Amino acid sequence: MKALLAAAALAFCATPALAQDASADVTFTFQVGQPTGHVMVALFDSQAAYDGSGDPVRVARVDASAAAVQAVFEHLPAGDYAMKAFHDVDDDGRMATNPFGMPTEPFAFSNNAVGNMGPAGWNRAHFSVSGDTAQMINLAQ
Amino acid sequence: MMIPSRRSFLMGAAALSAAVVTPDLVRAAQAAAATPDWALATADVEADITARTLELVHGRAPAGLEGVLFRNGPAKFRRPGGSAQHWFDGDGLIRRFALSEGRVELSARFVATRKRAQEERLGAMVMPGFGTLGDPRAEIGSPDDANAANTSVLMAGDKLWALWEAGSPVAMDPITLQTEGYVTLRPDLRAMPFLAHPRIEPDGRIWNLGMGGDQALVWRLSADGTLEDASLIPLPRASYVHDFTATERHLVIVLQPWVRERQTMPFADGFAWRPETGTQILVVDKDDLTRRRIFETDAFGFFHLGDAWIEGDDILFDIALHRDMDFAARGASEIVNGVPLDGEAARLGLIRLKSDGATELTRLPAIAEFPRSDPARAGQMRRLSVHTSADTPETPFARAIGVTDWSTATTRTFDFGAGHVVDEMVWVAKPGTRSEADAWLIGPSLNLTERRTELHVLDVAALEDGPVATWRADVALPAAFHGIWA
Repeated sequence: MKALLAAAALAFCATPALAQDASADVTFTFQVGQPTGHVMVALFDSQAAYDGSGDPVRVARVDASAAAVQAVFEHLPAGDYAMKAFHDVDDDGRMATNPFGMPTEPFAFSNNAVGNMGPAGWNRAHFSVSGDTAQMINLAQ
Repeated sequence: MMIPSRRSFLMGAAALSAAVVTPDLVRAAQAAAATPDWALATADVEADITARTLELVHGRAPAGLEGVLFRNGPAKFRRPGGSAQHWFDGDGLIRRFALSEGRVELSARFVATRKRAQEERLGAMVMPGFGTLGDPRAEIGSPDDANAANTSVLMAGDKLWALWEAGSPVAMDPITLQTEGYVTLRPDLRAMPFLAHPRIEPDGRIWNLGMGGDQALVWRLSADGTLEDASLIPLPRASYVHDFTATERHLVIVLQPWVRERQTMPFADGFAWRPETGTQILVVDKDDLTRRRIFETDAFGFFHLGDAWIEGDDILFDIALHRDMDFAARGASEIVNGVPLDGEAARLGLIRLKSDGATELTRLPAIAEFPRSDPARAGQMRRLSVHTSADTPETPFARAIGVTDWSTATTRTFDFGAGHVVDEMVWVAKPGTRSEADAWLIGPSLNLTERRTELHVLDVAALEDGPVATWRADVALPAAFHGIWA
């Protein structure tokens, strides 16, 4: 409980500093199972866009053989975001599926959220940005 | 003042849930109090069963009988926060009965699936399944996240595979039963379905299907589990297929009139019973999967077929005939909740697909399920089948074992009595023999009176005399589905 109170106090104190610099960097570091191809990343700033009725605010294509497989989205306004990624292992530019349409290349969402027989929904995948934010995303199937 | 009272209400709710007094548990307790003792057949096993020696309680071990009976079946259905609602949706427990030098050692381990890990963490059975709706909290990014690995087993090289039917095999160490992981036979076939009823040729080659509505993937594997071929074939209808059969030259796919009409959960709710459309039987040549014939016959429901064979130009196989698929849709849910079945038991049938395109369906009076036969004759001419049986259709589970001789269409049985739930038995040829009837039947029963699992060996030639040997464990394991002798 003490630790929680201390954290709450810290968060409170930090608020004025954030107000002075409203933009933040969001970094995703991907753990990949094999160092081939690229990780395709799309970042969304609304549920509507995330659900398919709009475009991502940022996209990235990251070399999966790099020492650090990272997508950095700089100077984002504060707000709620969610991210979708897949590892294009064979580098053909599309997400491979098995003959019955199930993805065979690793995919992930922000918060490492997992859906319920479909992509992870905004409610599971969204996160708030109010300062620099980093997430480690597991794409190692 | 609002905050403390609200807080204490929340604390109260938390305390209640910590004491696990949930509606599910109350229902389970009521069900347990009201049910006959055969509820033990779908009871929960709370932990892996460490190796223990069984006590010989009858007869003596046949000389020369050495090997391991692996069996798989669901053994965990209920958790405080929610329970599986169907017999087919419990967690797979692999039972290992090792027979050596007249002694039997039993161990059992749950397949360490991602489903089980998630449900342990949440304290609730959350995965949707064959007859379970599932919980919105379930995290499912792949069919294998819901894979219960609870239906059968297969030896693939030096690995034991636990089989479900809507996802990948799960590889295990056949000695320790340690789970090693989901099997991907080729990267582009990750998470493709693999039925729990592969057909294995006498030389070890493995044929199987993966069902996807009105198409099926035909798997062909070498005896060591290496993929030889995987080809999609179209089907004339999106029928429920749990099992198929094969001759040495053909795959035989029976398409009952229980057809998938809706994409919904639980899985079984997507199927409709359309008896007016009859049953179709698709025969595909193993050498050329594009060469096919379709036969038609009466409407019936089924889960299990016997190995097929060729007589002249005809194809024959046995089948456990259900009147319809009410058991799949409803009965197997009621079993888990301790409700006695009111359905009609399955009876044995023989189907002959004639070279002129006609189909003959012979119905025998014997109550029968889980047909098996000599694996050394798989796909070849044979005359004997072993199957579970019962004296009365009202018995909720099998209590007898039967052997049917197709040359005379007669069935001999041994009845273990109302105090036993009898599992599927495997056919084990006696060493050095060539006659089909020179064989043992090996399988467990759940002794409801003693509340113990037993393992029996019967001699096919003297089936009516009952077991030549029976060993009793110090534990009671629920009824299981399918097994192999290895």
